[in-house]
Amino acid sequence: MSDSEFDVVVIGGGSTGTAVARDCAMRGLRTLLLERDDIASATVGTCAGMISSGLKYRNEPDIMELCSEEVVHFNHIARHIMMKIPILAPLLDLSDAASDSGYIDAYSEHAEEREVPAMMFLTPEATLEIEPMVHPDVIASVYYEEFFIDPFRLSLLQALDAINHGAKVHTYCEVIGFEKTGGEIQGVVFYNRITGTTETVRTKLVVNATGPWAHKLARMNDSKLDLRLNKGTHVILDRRVVNVGITARALDGRWVYLFPHENTTLLGTTALDTWEDPDRLVASFDEIEYLLQSIEAVIPSIRESRIIRTMAGIRPLVPDWKVSEDKVTRGYQIVDHENGMISFTGGKLVMCRHMAQDVTDLVCKKLGVKAICKTHEKPLPGNEDDVDVESLSVEYGISLHTLERMRARRGTDIVKILELTKEHPEWKTTICTCEPVIEAEIRYAIREEFPQTLNDLRRRLRLGTGPCQGTSCTYKAAAILSEELDLEGDDFLVDILDFKAERWKGIRPSMRGEQLAQEELAQGIYTCVGNLDQSDVDYDLKPWEEGA
Amino acid sequence: MDLECDVLVIGAGMAGLVAGTISSNEGVSTILLRKGQSATAYSSGAIDVMGYLPDASEPFSTPSEGLTAVAAMLPLHPYSIVGYSESVQPDTVVDEIVGSARAAISWLKNSLRDTIAPLIGSFDSNISALTVFGTTKPTCLVQETMNSESLQDEDSTLLFAGFAGYPDFNPSAAAKVFLEDRIAIGLPPRKVGRCVLKLAPFGKLYNLSSIEIARHLDHGNSIEELAKQLKPQADKLGATHVAIPPILGIRNALENKKLLEELTGVEVFELLGVPPSVPGLRLQMALEGLFRKGGGRLLAGHEAISYTKNGELLDAVMVRTPRRRMKIKSKATILATGKFIGGGLAGDENGIRETVFDLMTVTGTYHSAGDITPSRFTNRVSITPSSQPVYSCGLTVDPHFRPVQEDGVEWSSNLFAAGSILAGYDYSSEKSGLGVATTTGYIAIRKAMDFLKGVDLK
Repeated sequence: MSDSEFDVVVIGGGSTGTAVARDCAMRGLRTLLLERDDIASATVGTCAGMISSGLKYRNEPDIMELCSEEVVHFNHIARHIMMKIPILAPLLDLSDAASDSGYIDAYSEHAEEREVPAMMFLTPEATLEIEPMVHPDVIASVYYEEFFIDPFRLSLLQALDAINHGAKVHTYCEVIGFEKTGGEIQGVVFYNRITGTTETVRTKLVVNATGPWAHKLARMNDSKLDLRLNKGTHVILDRRVVNVGITARALDGRWVYLFPHENTTLLGTTALDTWEDPDRLVASFDEIEYLLQSIEAVIPSIRESRIIRTMAGIRPLVPDWKVSEDKVTRGYQIVDHENGMISFTGGKLVMCRHMAQDVTDLVCKKLGVKAICKTHEKPLPGNEDDVDVESLSVEYGISLHTLERMRARRGTDIVKILELTKEHPEWKTTICTCEPVIEAEIRYAIREEFPQTLNDLRRRLRLGTGPCQGTSCTYKAAAILSEELDLEGDDFLVDILDFKAERWKGIRPSMRGEQLAQEELAQGIYTCVGNLDQSDVDYDLKPWEEGA
Repeated sequence: MDLECDVLVIGAGMAGLVAGTISSNEGVSTILLRKGQSATAYSSGAIDVMGYLPDASEPFSTPSEGLTAVAAMLPLHPYSIVGYSESVQPDTVVDEIVGSARAAISWLKNSLRDTIAPLIGSFDSNISALTVFGTTKPTCLVQETMNSESLQDEDSTLLFAGFAGYPDFNPSAAAKVFLEDRIAIGLPPRKVGRCVLKLAPFGKLYNLSSIEIARHLDHGNSIEELAKQLKPQADKLGATHVAIPPILGIRNALENKKLLEELTGVEVFELLGVPPSVPGLRLQMALEGLFRKGGGRLLAGHEAISYTKNGELLDAVMVRTPRRRMKIKSKATILATGKFIGGGLAGDENGIRETVFDLMTVTGTYHSAGDITPSRFTNRVSITPSSQPVYSCGLTVDPHFRPVQEDGVEWSSNLFAAGSILAGYDYSSEKSGLGVATTTGYIAIRKAMDFLKGVDLK
């Protein structure tokens, strides 16, 4: 296959773009995925990872049906990176109970296929037994179960699987223009941020999966695309402060939640229409306080939890206006600009595979290719079998906790990493102590999963996502990355500064409590000892660091 | 059980240890409270006095140059407080500030001479010390095991040596950073190498910590074993110097260094490192030893939680341990509980408070910090010479280092404060941490002892 000629160029490496690349490649199309940053570096990287049953969208029965089907598919193809979480919606007074009980039937209709029990009401005693942190005045609660996926791993595994099926995936390549003949796209011009060169590839079709940038990319192609951009912010708490997920009515009547997520707990989300540059987005004090006050009504002790950081992202909704964000359909639209570009708007994480299937059907039709979708049948890498972490722990002398966390990222591929420690026992060393992550997994990820920066490693490994936010692992991981990629000394220091900058973006807005001491320690290491504030390396200010 | 003493020092980091050591060695009955591990034990173990002014990019070549600048430009800096005493004439303010710091630093260097953490360097020059990052930083004194002075010789060749399974130092990254820097400034050494050595303290090949390696090197023939691996590597490169992470031992670091040099024929020195820090621990242990030798009583695991006042005077401090509570009555008290790491300050979305006495807190510019949202006093850029202003928050004190209240009057005539709990400076960007701690601890205890002697502290 030529490196410069493709059937389809997919732009955007989020959950949808990677799903499209995978589907196209599996159907035998010559496929190129271009991502201007890293896989899952924008919207999908700031979501809670819920593979939702669609409960919130019960006014859209088609959507609920679709969500349920997709949950079943993900359980088949990506079980190793999924978790089922029980959820309580505690009711503190009768007005909390929705006037219609239609949602119970709607949720329960396909519960069996999703392998969850039907929705049920619990007594106050049963509620408090499951979750003692709930307000003692609870009068009842609604119990249900939802699935969650690691959104970073999902996107990455889709990209890796696309590569396995012959696709090319280029990260850090930003599209800067299109070559057109007679109004039709013939080629894509992009700037390679790693090599610093501009490259052009020929293609028959372009799929625009750039989420909150979709309208801008369409404009670059002289096409119009409307989007409703909506900001969502999470507050991230240390460890699992609740045993189960909690949902509650917020101050303004919307629903907010507290979900145990990996080694943390997510409190989210806000929903604010936004026109901000997605690259400059940070959480505001108002959003943090809104979330804390909203959940405080049902979990009164929430402020005793340690707040690690915040994260903010943008939902690229379909352009329904004059209604609140909740009322905008969570369905998606495929827009054929009829000039070689096909765009997405809307959608949810749970639908990404389905969106890809739809668009790939259209792509195949346009290209006259007859091939059927198999993305819901073939498992993603690592989901080949169960993994016995207990015996691996004994065999390799690595803690069960470390291996269980690794298994949740790797599935059966865990063995490839552990094999490395036979030749290099020193690679059993824990590099990120919060998560934890051992050196062998970092080396493996660098060699096999094309990261360029520490932030890329974070997305692949959850490096630096715990309470210390990279205080202790940044130096160690940067040194390993520098060795593996044979970086210059200056680049090693820039990697440290870049990672610190990205972590600080989320820490800063919610800075309080133990995080004040944590950051004092980080400053002590990187500013006081390392003297990196005085370093003369070429450090580019990040978009959110610019300005007054 | 209740206790009584003349001087109670709350907090056993650098400032508290300096204060307590001075009073106990002068025969004043002193009790020192230590809640947990001090921030000093986390430090690199080098004594920074003044490296940079805020926002500056050129380091001071000497601490006294730095202090002269502080005296002129940063009136709220803890160093500047020294000059506000009524006894100081206007034309001698700078001399007083520089002189006090010089006296404190000299005292520290002399006191630590025969301990496990002897220091080298002088108040008349800043040292450019090498770090595990491969970078250099200006500091005033370093432990003798960190002496790399002769590296400036024209024909020097430096070997960075790390340890397999010890992730807190990577010789390859450090060597690259250091060499690029040397090439850029055109100074020796002009040849730099790296190697990885294998140690298995207690039979373990991975997850090695600096403390474990240091303990291992304090025992048996481990230095000989290390030399056997290091010598061929040094010879191969033709190294004149070997830089190793700060792990040379806790009790015998200097002897270990000398033995290693004897066996390998090259100069060996420790880099400035990150927590858990062996040199920081050495420093803390050495000072604790001096404190005890003077007859001081150290209560580890003891946390001050509240107090009783008798009119103008602080009467007693209530202390908690996991098992008991007690009351300690003292005639004078030094508050040296540190900043956020030490636990002297705590902050939430409503403001920043002092944790034992609920004293007034201020920002670096002396505005009230009692009701600030911490994020408001941060910069968008994380690592910057402009620092994070929230770390300049703390207490404001009178010229006798007594915390003052909103009305500008001292909270009590027998409570003194020292160390990083003081407002008006950020030790990370200034590179001034242990210097401010030493100087303010040194002065605060003198003021406290003056108070005990009945000197009128106006």
